[in-house]
Amino acid sequence: MIKVRDLRKVFRVHQKEPGLAASIRSLFHRKWVEKAAVTGSSFDVSEGEIVGLIGANGAGKTTLVKMLSGIIHPTSGEAEVLGHVPWKRENEFRRQIALVMGQKAQMWWDLPGGDCFELLREIYQIPRDQYQQSLNKLTDMLGIGDELKVQIRRLSLGERMKMELIAALLHSPRVVYLDEPTIGLDITTQRAVRDFLLEYRRENAPAMILTSHYMEDIERLCERIIIIREGDIVYDGSLERVIREYAPYKQLRLHVHRADQPGVDLLEKMGQVIDCEPGSICLRVDREKIPEVAAELLRKFSVIDLSIEDPEIGDTIERIMAGSTADSE
Amino acid sequence: MSLSLFLHIVNLETKKLMSYRVDFWITMAVNLVVNLVILWALWTAIFSESGSEIIGGWDLPGILSYGVMVFLTGRIVRGGDLQMTVATDIYEGALSRFLLYPRHYAFTKYAQQVGNIVPDLFQSVLMGLVALPVLGISSTTAITPLTVAMSIPTILVAHLLFFMMGLIPQYIAFWADNVWSLSVMLRFVTMLLGGAMLPLSLFPEPVQQVLHWLPFAYLFEFPTLVILGKVDFSQWLIGIGTCLLWCLAIGSLSIPVWRRGDLRYTGVGI
Repeated sequence: MIKVRDLRKVFRVHQKEPGLAASIRSLFHRKWVEKAAVTGSSFDVSEGEIVGLIGANGAGKTTLVKMLSGIIHPTSGEAEVLGHVPWKRENEFRRQIALVMGQKAQMWWDLPGGDCFELLREIYQIPRDQYQQSLNKLTDMLGIGDELKVQIRRLSLGERMKMELIAALLHSPRVVYLDEPTIGLDITTQRAVRDFLLEYRRENAPAMILTSHYMEDIERLCERIIIIREGDIVYDGSLERVIREYAPYKQLRLHVHRADQPGVDLLEKMGQVIDCEPGSICLRVDREKIPEVAAELLRKFSVIDLSIEDPEIGDTIERIMAGSTADSE
Repeated sequence: MSLSLFLHIVNLETKKLMSYRVDFWITMAVNLVVNLVILWALWTAIFSESGSEIIGGWDLPGILSYGVMVFLTGRIVRGGDLQMTVATDIYEGALSRFLLYPRHYAFTKYAQQVGNIVPDLFQSVLMGLVALPVLGISSTTAITPLTVAMSIPTILVAHLLFFMMGLIPQYIAFWADNVWSLSVMLRFVTMLLGGAMLPLSLFPEPVQQVLHWLPFAYLFEFPTLVILGKVDFSQWLIGIGTCLLWCLAIGSLSIPVWRRGDLRYTGVGI
């Protein structure tokens, strides 16, 4: 449904030195620099797939989403969404996509949700029966039927985001872009939004691209992630694979009797010592060595408790975003 | 764009503006009082200083009627003073939302502008009914049901022209972040050269000749002259046709500017 090939976007940014003199100088002469926001991205997204686009602030996630939704033109490269070039903005294309931006309200601030949805029905030319059915279903799923007559600006952030989601999905789009849809929401609302998106995906199978800084969004919603660093895709694959490739170790936590504390020298032969307190040890051990090391510890020491954990996926992704490679781990 | 969508947007915009009731009534009352006082003080002084009964084809009640009517029709033509809305959309990134809709952006904005006419129209009629009787009877103007009827399409076409003329300066926001000064300048130029400050017949003859070939007169002066009965039927038809041709010409010019600007749009904003 979505094909992206070597897509690039370079912005020309005005650079201004601080101070009054620089401000006066900039009236006559401006210094421009080129900033590559996306540097040659290529990937595909299939029907029913939710792909998580992950990266630090300014990594190029939103720029990529803006290009794929047709809002901005790329500097070079190709993209095809539902067989259309997004930035040509053919109506047939725009009728089948939706974009939700968590950081930017897209609804009419002064109007109640019900009026906004009626307007969207006209804009997308949704038949009245289909519109009413979709609206009832979406408001039921999100539990905000009572707020349809309230001006958008008078709603809470969570309620507004739910309205934004309904507005985006009323016309049953086949491709949905979600740019930080849970940003700023409380935990309960975040969960409600995630559950809603999963249910919507189950029933409608759209292709979805989701950007988020919340790992829980990614873990709950996405089987596949794309990690972007400085405009460059550094990982594209499953969530499980990212752990295997970038964190080829597990953490082994051990509680022993204080009198039977193993020596650090011995522990360092087994793996990397993360923590060594009296009676409590944490080791980072290569995945393939885990059975052997665990057996040896159990055999040699009087172990009270032993647990083996995968590293936090958020930590792993954070390290990738910060520049780690599979080899360097 | 379908007619039903156009009317829907018009309806919503009207509802939105009417919902701010305090603002709605205060704006109307303040505008009416301030303008009446300025007009009366200015033109009474001019007529008494000159000692003439008629200046540039207008007597005192006539010129006061012109002042009131050009102010009232001008409010409608300017469509709620939304001339910065496109530039603001570009600057704040709100344009992104419209680019996602399967509808043309400029048409959507135009429908919004028309929606802004309705409260102005309502206010202007009320203000006219209050103000005109106190201005006295003029021998140089003749407001009749026919001139009122002729003025309706004239004002609508003038409104379209005003919208079109505002597009290109606002599209400059694709290149320059803030085009507020450009918009203010356009407002002053259109008001001065369009006859919103005083009738163009009071301008020197060579200036009038130049203005004849420009679109400004069709914005404010022409609709006002129509309503005051100073334009006959054939002049009216020619005026409407010329105004529409200007709309077409300016609209055509705005298309390449939009296309070039669109390539630069970044979708960033507040």
